[in-house]
Amino acid sequence: MTQLVLGQVLNGAIIGAMYGIIALGITLTFGITGIVNFALGEFMMIGAYATYALAERGGLPYPVAVVPGCLVAAAAGYLSNKAFFRFTRNNLVNGLLVSIGLISIFESAAMLLWTATPVEMHFVLPGALRVGDIGLPKMKLVVFAVIVVVIVATYLGLARTWLGRAAFAYAQNPEAAMLMGVHTPRLETAVMLYSTGLAGLGGALYASLYSLEPAMGGVYVLKGMEAAILGGIGSLMGSLWGGVILGVIEGVGSILLPTAFRDAYGLAVLVAILLFRPAGLFGDE
Amino acid sequence: MTGQALLWGALYALPLLVRSDFLLTIFIFTFIYGILAVTFDLIFGFTGQLSMFHPAIFGVSAYMTHLLAVHAGLPFWAATLPSAAASVVLAVVVGSICFKFRLKTFYFAVVTLAFSEMIRLVVMNWNSVTNGTLGLVVAGKPTMYWPGSGVVPIKGPVAWYYLTLVCLSVTVLICSRCLRSWMGRCFGAIRLNEDLARTLGINVFRYKLLSFAIGNALASFAGGLYGYYTGYIDPGYLGINQSMEVLAMVLLGGQGTLIGPIVGSLVLTGLPHAIDLRAELRAVLYGAILIFTILVMPRGIVGTLSAWRSRRVS
Repeated sequence: MTQLVLGQVLNGAIIGAMYGIIALGITLTFGITGIVNFALGEFMMIGAYATYALAERGGLPYPVAVVPGCLVAAAAGYLSNKAFFRFTRNNLVNGLLVSIGLISIFESAAMLLWTATPVEMHFVLPGALRVGDIGLPKMKLVVFAVIVVVIVATYLGLARTWLGRAAFAYAQNPEAAMLMGVHTPRLETAVMLYSTGLAGLGGALYASLYSLEPAMGGVYVLKGMEAAILGGIGSLMGSLWGGVILGVIEGVGSILLPTAFRDAYGLAVLVAILLFRPAGLFGDE
Repeated sequence: MTGQALLWGALYALPLLVRSDFLLTIFIFTFIYGILAVTFDLIFGFTGQLSMFHPAIFGVSAYMTHLLAVHAGLPFWAATLPSAAASVVLAVVVGSICFKFRLKTFYFAVVTLAFSEMIRLVVMNWNSVTNGTLGLVVAGKPTMYWPGSGVVPIKGPVAWYYLTLVCLSVTVLICSRCLRSWMGRCFGAIRLNEDLARTLGINVFRYKLLSFAIGNALASFAGGLYGYYTGYIDPGYLGINQSMEVLAMVLLGGQGTLIGPIVGSLVLTGLPHAIDLRAELRAVLYGAILIFTILVMPRGIVGTLSAWRSRRVS
């Protein structure tokens, strides 16, 4: 039993890291620019399919295909920001609706290009590492490590550099930041590019583990949203912890309690936390 | 005012002029979704609370109405009342939790969404009652008393058209009565500035809960009607998409009006049928229209039209 629980904890942490990378994108866009991008799951899907196409059809080795995969997602993000999202600043409901529209567009475009049949990549890195009685696939560990490195690097990048301070200043007061010499439109574009690129990276990593289908984004953006709120909107490390906690709760919950209610365990904990700490676990009061 | 009266008159006269079942079917769906959209607008557009709880009420009332009719042998109309009562209980429980802890905007949306998802999972996994993901077939029909021929079942497009139209009219009437009364004033005050409303002596908690309960109780009728009209119920009724769809209808038509949600419902239910394209392209177009309307007409169709008209008059 302990083995089983421990295995689920590790597995949940790895899946949770995947939620975490989407949560990071949500936290960044909402915390800094005040734009709600509920369509991040679609950018993840774009990144995943681009990587798949480059690696399986284009014959590139997987690690090389990941980079253009992210770039494609970021490019899509750039276009959607220029055309739509920048008009929805500080307007939650409009952001949500533009996202719904984009989800519909991207999902059906993916259906047209790749049909609804799930596709799967070849094993990138076969084999598993054995820790005691628990077997952990090597690729999952790599994915987990990459995500943790990316999130910590983002955190350090924002906490230690001029650009990071500019971003925080912008989040607090856009006008004042502009007067202090921050090029705000460029900053907004950069945040959007980065968050959608991150979602693309999440998708590219996802592609190495699971099969892809056009509707995959929907589930992940919900989980990412849950993780971002659990950790506290605006908190970067909170998004990683939120994702991991969510993943572990779902994993452990589904062996101790009925598996069918897997999604409900995370939600129940989220509601409980929101009631007593409305700003999330790591958010500012 | 006369414009609205004319509009309703035209809707009631429509089946006399048009004999197309296709068109009537679109209108029937418009009216059922219209009930959902109007009641959602009561909570969102008039009271300012972004509720994501509508799918849960829609689904639960669809299941409950059907199950009560089958297992307890109640006629359709008698079965809708316990469903409405159950909806009120659900709304009061969820609403009390949310409003007691002063959850607002985004957080209120997320928590109501979470409750809605939990209810969906319960419905999906309670196999012995709901038949799980396979859903249930609704064989019964609502009945009504018709002078001369006694109790007759309601079937056929024209009968359903009038049934749903009357239900929608009653919903709109109740909502507009509420909004014209002292309740509506309190709702408006809460929407505009909650803290100010509290200092003015309005019991914010009570009126938010009232709005949430009324909206959800009326929305429950849409669920019962929809299940009976399509003849089929499945857990997809409680999906998040429903919530998004209703939100899109309200914003497209114009939030904070009672006619707007119905217009939005007509556009979004009619549009997919009006465009003769393959499904994927249709979805692309649907998304494009949604984005376009929100960015170009942020106040929705009705809001933009009335602003345009008042500018022309003045």
